[in-house]
Amino acid sequence: MAPCECLSEHFSKKHFLSGIDARVKLLVVLALLLMVLSYQGIFFPLLVAGGALMLCAKMRISVKVLLMRMAQPLLLSVIVLVLKCFFTGEDTMFFISLPTSHFSLLTLTGHRDGLMEGVRITSKILGGVSLVIALGFATPFIEFVAALSWLRVPRPFIEIMMFAYRYLFVFLEDAETIYSAQKNRLGYSGIRKGLNSFGVLTGSLVLRGFEQSQKTADAMIQRGYTGDMPMLKNQPLKAAELAIAFIVVITGGAVWMI
Amino acid sequence: MKNQKSKIKNQNCGIFIFLLTAYCLLLTAGEAHAMHISEGILPLNWAALWFAVAIPFVALGLRKLKILSAQDLSIKPLVGLMAAIVFVVSLMPIPVPTAGTCSHPGGTAIPAILISPTISILVTGVALLIQALFFAHGGLSTWGADVVSMGVVGSFAGYGVFRLLRKFNAGLAVSAFFAGIISDWAIYLTTSVELAAGIRGDSPFWPLFSKIAIAFVPTQLPLGIVEGAMTAGMVNLLFKRRADLLVKLGVIKPEHAGGAI
Repeated sequence: MAPCECLSEHFSKKHFLSGIDARVKLLVVLALLLMVLSYQGIFFPLLVAGGALMLCAKMRISVKVLLMRMAQPLLLSVIVLVLKCFFTGEDTMFFISLPTSHFSLLTLTGHRDGLMEGVRITSKILGGVSLVIALGFATPFIEFVAALSWLRVPRPFIEIMMFAYRYLFVFLEDAETIYSAQKNRLGYSGIRKGLNSFGVLTGSLVLRGFEQSQKTADAMIQRGYTGDMPMLKNQPLKAAELAIAFIVVITGGAVWMI
Repeated sequence: MKNQKSKIKNQNCGIFIFLLTAYCLLLTAGEAHAMHISEGILPLNWAALWFAVAIPFVALGLRKLKILSAQDLSIKPLVGLMAAIVFVVSLMPIPVPTAGTCSHPGGTAIPAILISPTISILVTGVALLIQALFFAHGGLSTWGADVVSMGVVGSFAGYGVFRLLRKFNAGLAVSAFFAGIISDWAIYLTTSVELAAGIRGDSPFWPLFSKIAIAFVPTQLPLGIVEGAMTAGMVNLLFKRRADLLVKLGVIKPEHAGGAI
């Protein structure tokens, strides 16, 4: 699967969550994320992870895409788990002797308290990542940008974000085209050739970026651009949506307290 | 006898967990990503601290952008497109033979050299927020930590090395090569500090930091060289095809535009 096909924007936004205001979704996610991070056990983060992944399933996101999204966080959780189990803690649980040469053995000591701490961090990673993935699939970019604007994120930051998102897919496609053309012409057949091809690829993208930015600026100035981009206007928040968000956060808070 | 049996049982359990972990690592490490700290890894207090460190630097970037865009209306589109390029570059799969995996460069030395390190922080912040929300790389709570490592440290390290080498009359490509390497390795070391501080609990900091740093050596050391080659290749191509751009951006002096690099 190409990287651009894995981006949330590639998936349909016509589902039961698409009608809900992006600000409400963002606020609920931020509140639940705070609870996940401050929880001392594993139950609440795993419950949140389960709920968020069920929402993704309801939005018809395939397991393959979810696994691709979670590959990097999962790798980091495994590393954290190993580090915490073998290199922190005091309560010895098991030993592993690994032969390093004919005469010496490397003994790794697994610690129960380290492992438990690692499991706790892993559960937080799963909870947090699942929440953000669900938010990404549930919210179109343009609505998310409007929600950020409502949260008083500086306007130039949002404008840069909009420019970046607009050209992201163009550059992803360009990079893929250049990469496959180089690969077909044995551009990556040796280390030296590969490094050279990679430098040319990056340079070509940067050149394209400079040229495109000038063209974009010219076209925008012709259409009356004076330095500020128009934003999507936020509608007043609906009472029913706020009530549902309030119930979700209060229920989450109650489970968090137990 | 009972103790011995229990010890053997524990050993078997340990070997099983070790093999399972190794399997999981191999399974998931097929596409190991640049050193983004994932959502949920950092405790709330550390996440808040890194946010507090990152925000003033992002504000500096925004201030610089405001000054530049008042003079030139094409700056905002340029910075936005740079953010898109950093996003794309940090998704490029680079085979790392020493680890048997693919990894991804940071790419923050490029905007730092071409535009400025403060604008590069802003570019990184934007790219990281889009990656966190729509690609699950990094996270919302770890955005501050990722901006500090990739944006602040990566940009200033790359820019500092580039300027220092140019001051000593090093070639453009050589300076860019070392800027890329040092930027990548500085990101990797800062991320290791952030991870160790965040996950250590009651354990001492330095032993855990050294273990994390060692765990990432097989991917990050060769990746630094790839990032160096990538930065040098980019500058090289710009010099050959659009030396006027490098002059306009203040990377080289006008008198050097026609000469050898």
